[in-house]
Amino acid sequence: MCLDDQILNTYIDGELAQPWKSRVENHLSTCSGCRMRLNSLKNISDDIKNSVLSDEEIRPRQERVLAMLEKNCLGKKKKFSLFRRQLRFSVGQLAGAAAAFVIVFAGAIAFTSGRADQIIPAPETETDIDIANIMPVRAVDSPQRGLDTFTLDEILKNLDARGYDVDVKLKSIKPVEFTETEVLTN
Amino acid sequence: MEIRSGDDAVFRQVYKQVFPLVMRVAYHVTFNADIAEDICQDAFIRFYDKDMTFPSLDDAKFWLIRVVKNLAINHVKRKANEVAKMEKIGRTPTDNPFGDGARELLLNESKVAVRRAVAQLPEIYRTAIVLREYADLDYQQIAKVLKISESNVKVRVHRARKELEVILGREDVNVP
Ligand SMILES: [Zn+2]
Repeated sequence: MCLDDQILNTYIDGELAQPWKSRVENHLSTCSGCRMRLNSLKNISDDIKNSVLSDEEIRPRQERVLAMLEKNCLGKKKKFSLFRRQLRFSVGQLAGAAAAFVIVFAGAIAFTSGRADQIIPAPETETDIDIANIMPVRAVDSPQRGLDTFTLDEILKNLDARGYDVDVKLKSIKPVEFTETEVLTN
Repeated sequence: MEIRSGDDAVFRQVYKQVFPLVMRVAYHVTFNADIAEDICQDAFIRFYDKDMTFPSLDDAKFWLIRVVKNLAINHVKRKANEVAKMEKIGRTPTDNPFGDGARELLLNESKVAVRRAVAQLPEIYRTAIVLREYADLDYQQIAKVLKISESNVKVRVHRARKELEVILGREDVNVP
């Protein structure tokens, strides 16, 4: 009797115990049909294995996450926020809504235009958050990047790097079911 | 060797050895490299913060794999809900619900097709095949991570390959 795919797959994975393993091998040595089928299944398995995320794809991410952990976790025993991941989902939702605005509350901080490294001033300069701080997610390119040309992700990364507590509210002009998301750090 | 997850030196060592593995698990379950990176970050933060003691590196590794697998599955489910909601209110999401972290890299198309096909599998087959082919775990280890029996693992791996054969359009050439 010929071998079914389930047995062949188990054999491919090296998970077939004796005496079945020997029996399967005996059959394969005499049956070209089953040998062909074994090869087809092996090819599928090999194709999956070969599509694995490569070391080159992993390396920069491994380094980036480690740098973040080194900075925020290791040595300090400091609680670290998880907002980055949650926020990215929210931004993804927002991208679907054309007229979306983002309000970022980050303690009491003045937002000023500036280069990336000056995007958020030092915490000593305290200014109330007001309507001026509501900004469109996507703004036109300008030679000198103002705050509104930064993506939310960039702004939050910057805030995070400076250790702020961040409270984010997402609003869109047309109400959708998930108009508001609050994400708190710490 | 005993592993203390909140010890900085030990943590770095575990991170170095296990990150690529859990990154592969997270990526091939979610098919989105950015999400996978965030999931791994979360998992390692938990690993460090909980300051746990494991009898061996393998035990620490399996803890991380299980957490990453759960976070990845949670993401996939939440994403599916969001897409359903969007469709309900008459919006179609502009971004690809699966994402695609391979975009910026020159990968051959068949590799991407296989990755995409794996991401289309039903969750229970997907996790089993991801752990088998991308994390190179054996049936016993997969059973431990998924908390199912080994014979169940055997069936899921088999079904996953069968479905992939269909999705990738290979089934017709293989009649014995
Ligand atoms: Zn045969």
